[in-house]
Amino acid sequence: MAALELLSDEGYRADGRRAAELRKVRARMGVFAQADGSAYIEQGNTKALAVVYGPHEMRGSRSKALHDRALVNCQYSMATFSTSERKRRPHGDRKSSEMTLHLKQTFEAAILTQLYPRSQIDIYVQILQADGGNYCACVNAATLAVIDAGIPMRDYVCASSAGFVEDTPLADLSYIEEASGGPQVALALLPTSEQIALLEMNSRLHEDHLEEVIEAASKACKAVHAVLDQVVRDHVQEVTALLGD
Amino acid sequence: MQRTEKVLQLRGQQGRSVRVVREHYVRPDVPCRSALCRAACPRDGKLLSDDVTHYVVPDWKVVQDYLEILEFPELKGIIFMQTACQAVQHQKGRRQYNKLRNLVKDARHDCIVFANEFHQHSYLPREKGESMEKWQTRSIYNATVWYYNHCLGQMPVVMVTEDEDAIRQYGNETEGVFVISFKNYLDNFWPDLKAAHELFDSIIQARRERESESQENNGKEYPEHLPMEILEAGVKSGRYVQGILNVNKHRAQLEAFVRLQGVGSKETELQSDILIYGARARNRAIHGDVVAVELLPLHEWKGRTVALCENETEDKTPADTTGDPMPTGKVIGIIQKNWRDYVVTFPSKEESQSQGKNAQKILVTPWDYRIPKIRISTQQAESLQEYRVVVRIDSWESTSLYPNGHFVRVLGRIGDLEGEIAAILVENSISVAPFSEIQMSEMPVSSSKNPWKVNPEEEQKRVDLRDTHLIFSIDPKGCEDVDDALSIRTLPNGNLELGVHIADVTHFVAVNSYTDVEARARATTYYLADRRYDMLPSILSADICSLLSGVDRYAVSVMWELDKESYEILSVSYNKTIIRSAYKLVYEAAQGLLDGDTSAVGDILELKDLDERTRQKKLTELVWAISKLTDIARHVRAKRDSCGALELEGVEIRVQLDDKKNIHDLIPKQPLEVHKTVAECMILANHWVAKKISENFPHQALLRQHPPPRQEFFSELRECASAKGFSIDTRSNKALAESLDKADDPQDPIINKLLRSMATHAMSNALYFSTGSCPEGEFHHYGLALDKYTHFTSPIRRYADIVVHRLLMAATLKESKGDVKDNVFSNKDLEELCRHINNRNRAAQHAQKQSTELFQCMHFKDKTPETDERCIADGVIYSIRTNGVLVFVPRYGIKAAAYMKNKEGLVISCQRDSSCEWKPGSLHHFQNKITSTTTTGESVTLSLFDHITVKILVHTSRCHADTIKLEIIRNAPYQTLDTEVSQKNSNVAKSELVKEVSQSAEEAQRAQEKARVEVIEEEYQEYCQTKGASLYQLLEEIRDLALLDISADIRT
Repeated sequence: MAALELLSDEGYRADGRRAAELRKVRARMGVFAQADGSAYIEQGNTKALAVVYGPHEMRGSRSKALHDRALVNCQYSMATFSTSERKRRPHGDRKSSEMTLHLKQTFEAAILTQLYPRSQIDIYVQILQADGGNYCACVNAATLAVIDAGIPMRDYVCASSAGFVEDTPLADLSYIEEASGGPQVALALLPTSEQIALLEMNSRLHEDHLEEVIEAASKACKAVHAVLDQVVRDHVQEVTALLGD
Repeated sequence: MQRTEKVLQLRGQQGRSVRVVREHYVRPDVPCRSALCRAACPRDGKLLSDDVTHYVVPDWKVVQDYLEILEFPELKGIIFMQTACQAVQHQKGRRQYNKLRNLVKDARHDCIVFANEFHQHSYLPREKGESMEKWQTRSIYNATVWYYNHCLGQMPVVMVTEDEDAIRQYGNETEGVFVISFKNYLDNFWPDLKAAHELFDSIIQARRERESESQENNGKEYPEHLPMEILEAGVKSGRYVQGILNVNKHRAQLEAFVRLQGVGSKETELQSDILIYGARARNRAIHGDVVAVELLPLHEWKGRTVALCENETEDKTPADTTGDPMPTGKVIGIIQKNWRDYVVTFPSKEESQSQGKNAQKILVTPWDYRIPKIRISTQQAESLQEYRVVVRIDSWESTSLYPNGHFVRVLGRIGDLEGEIAAILVENSISVAPFSEIQMSEMPVSSSKNPWKVNPEEEQKRVDLRDTHLIFSIDPKGCEDVDDALSIRTLPNGNLELGVHIADVTHFVAVNSYTDVEARARATTYYLADRRYDMLPSILSADICSLLSGVDRYAVSVMWELDKESYEILSVSYNKTIIRSAYKLVYEAAQGLLDGDTSAVGDILELKDLDERTRQKKLTELVWAISKLTDIARHVRAKRDSCGALELEGVEIRVQLDDKKNIHDLIPKQPLEVHKTVAECMILANHWVAKKISENFPHQALLRQHPPPRQEFFSELRECASAKGFSIDTRSNKALAESLDKADDPQDPIINKLLRSMATHAMSNALYFSTGSCPEGEFHHYGLALDKYTHFTSPIRRYADIVVHRLLMAATLKESKGDVKDNVFSNKDLEELCRHINNRNRAAQHAQKQSTELFQCMHFKDKTPETDERCIADGVIYSIRTNGVLVFVPRYGIKAAAYMKNKEGLVISCQRDSSCEWKPGSLHHFQNKITSTTTTGESVTLSLFDHITVKILVHTSRCHADTIKLEIIRNAPYQTLDTEVSQKNSNVAKSELVKEVSQSAEEAQRAQEKARVEVIEEEYQEYCQTKGASLYQLLEEIRDLALLDISADIRT
């Protein structure tokens, strides 16, 4: 059996999207009453749940407290049932600690931490179903959760991935596209200022193509931003409608 | 854009079925790409023309099977549905899919792909329980209907399918959309397109055959093997044939032969081997396996290929060069696998990259051409690229094209002498670890300070010959493992007493001691071109058991009383003795004494320190003894000749090394008469010992047989000889010997040699066997024309001789003391042992031959053939093939192929001065000659036994051993001193010829040897290599004969 064709001659990807099209994004905020902020996002079949606690005072060792800003504490995990083959995923394995670190970097860049010195903000993200672009889904979910918690941010942080197949940049990679082993860029963007919060790349890509791929990724981020913004507005409207009566 | 989901059941990594959910997006804006489209479809790219009578939509099955027909440019307006394309991609593989893609891209072709699965309205999800095939057909039909409607019914659309149900179900469902079968479609719409119809028929035909095959094997690469019970029963009943698979070295991909084995062959009328043609028929059997074969029907029989070919170039058209059809079969089961360790080479970097994604799975190429490539999974592929590596085969599934194996160890770098030698050893399954301490502790002590002494108790038991007999040994120069000595004396009654004394190795090697077990495993001493691996520790082989001059040694003696006139054997005795050899002669010196050449006397060490009178006296004694021996030997030989003993010929070369182990030169060997004398005595001893042990142990004696050859193998010899006007009678060994003697061209002595070597090749190998396993009629030794024969005279370097020694001792004991059961193998054990020894001997021969070839190649490798004189030599054509000739080069003893047609298809042509060059033309092959005709009309004819001048080239190969290639550079004899000498000599009588040539060669050799004395000394220390012309080098003379008897006996 021949290998799967990622981009057909007619310009369709394996799942029927065109090169620049995103998967369908659906999101909800405030899914958890107990937490300060929470959000659920679906990007295609990738489903992520984010929960935010804080800002609150330091838990555990106080020595970690930063005197001029808040500490962002992130935790990333994948549910055992998130992939097609059930697998125990212990905390702190290499992949998830890397992801944790990336999330932390991303949100330290976005949250106005200097407003809350000596305090701590916890962001917990869990992947419920993995189908490519886990990091992106996590960032997008966490952004919504942070907004839900009412923590001030510079801007939304929107993330999207992009790949490069047969001289064409592909936006928002799905699992089969990721698994093919081609180059892959994950980009977290502050859309209005176009500032990059995080950029990560796997596998090899010729320098000449890098710009195109980042361009595709940032376009996708902006598209995500539009969706998230709509979700936030709808949510706020809903909440105010509840308050307003 | 709408989002849907597909749920798939896929195979996971461990083979479990895994549920996978994939997204599937459908959209309303998939362009239809028809020029007829009235909707707002984008019209960029290739469009389907609107001037056809209809559009045609092939079903997935039609696209898969009849793509070639759809490629006809006459067929227009084809819409390939995406569903069909994906079916092709998944089920037919990359190649077929690429063909389809190229077809669609080709602007001249009026066809498009419609992505029906991504269109909102033409997409149909697969229903629960619906088979893939049904769903595909349904999707395609649905898309066809949509397409028809999309074009607003302006164009009728025909869907062609192979699915009968679909035709029935959808045939009349929608007006304007026709569903018919492909055959129907061709008949109705393209009745005039002959080519398409023919192609259709042939595809159907091919598919039917494939289906009938795959019914047996479910689409696997190879059919399954039958279970063992069925095989055994089948072989017994004669339905199947059992035999050993031999792969043709030169066409390893295609040809293999099964040599019949055992009783099965008697009932069947089959006499020749069975051809196994192609990898599928070979069915995963590897060279050397014992297989069960089913014969194919007569009309499927094929002929063997007679053209010369190089292994690297895969010949795609073998059909034009095959010979007469021969029995052809296919392997249906492997009775016994014969897998061993294989030496392989990893593909070079460029090759491994082309092998694609499965970086861990690598196809490695075995050193032996006959072994298929082996799939190895290793991470070290890159670092092992430059090395020869040992691998083992683990399994070969019927679904896999190649066997799976694993990496074992590294041998050495490619092209490195040690590495290559190690490769040769592994390939022949020879393991030569140094002797262990526990083995050495069994050895008796002997050092220069404290030499080994005769045990007084033993002295009582043994016959003392120390003072009564003049015993001497004749061996090659520098030989240290002297295992035989001779004696001759006149008895008081006037008769003669001839004695052959053999080192008593069994005295020191007790049965089942560690040394014995080790020696049994090794079975023989291995001689390679530059070294040797002893069977026994050197303390035995070079010291205590070696019959050196001036020291007491234990021996086993066979002594005959001969009539003084007729040399008839009157009586014989076998004794354990103590001897003291008086002289350790070398062949050259002995020959000198025989010829009355006094200069040779100086070489005899034992006579040096004596005064003139005793010296003269002793010398006279010795000369008498040698000449008497020679006389007797001639006599015995003549008697044997009258029974039909064969004198066989093989030209051998020896390798001369300099101090850095570079090869000096390759020298062909010449035999002396003394060789024959010694050999004859040994044959006599072996013969009488064979008689003795087979009388005493009729069911468990180890003898050596040489079965008479099959007549059909002689056909080549007869044809060749008839080309020169000789007739060879091969009906019996006597007739053969006589006709070979007659077939002598006084102008060209080489011809006789070649004929003899051809005769040798036609014969089967001599083998050890146990007398209990064979009817007495088959004991016969064909080559030596003796009714019983064994090996007795070289216990130091052959395990068979040790066994025979024990048998002989048991036999003598039995006569004196009655029944002895100790130390004698039972028939079954002995049979097993014989098989092992025969195997090891074969391995030793192959290893030696391969190492010699290695050195030949190394010799010519560093020479530039264009400039170096030594690479140009005289050659004799000894066989004609369809695209070239086989040439023998007497100067170096090389046999190799010379092509008359090169890879570009140019043939050889000759100029006025008879130098050759390549030109376009053609070859014509006749029975005894080959003619090449160039397009300009010049022609050259080469016939059998023509002398030509050839250039010797080395064909290097990364994965295999280097081989020698010859290139014809002039179709006239090469004029040098060498050929003049031999021409002059050819007029002289035969025996004198031998002498003269040998002397001239000797002189040349001696001169060289003097120059290299130090070199040899060094090698001697390094390998304990016997000096100069060692035993081994002598053995080489007859090496090619494959008759170990004769070769071994001349050496003894």
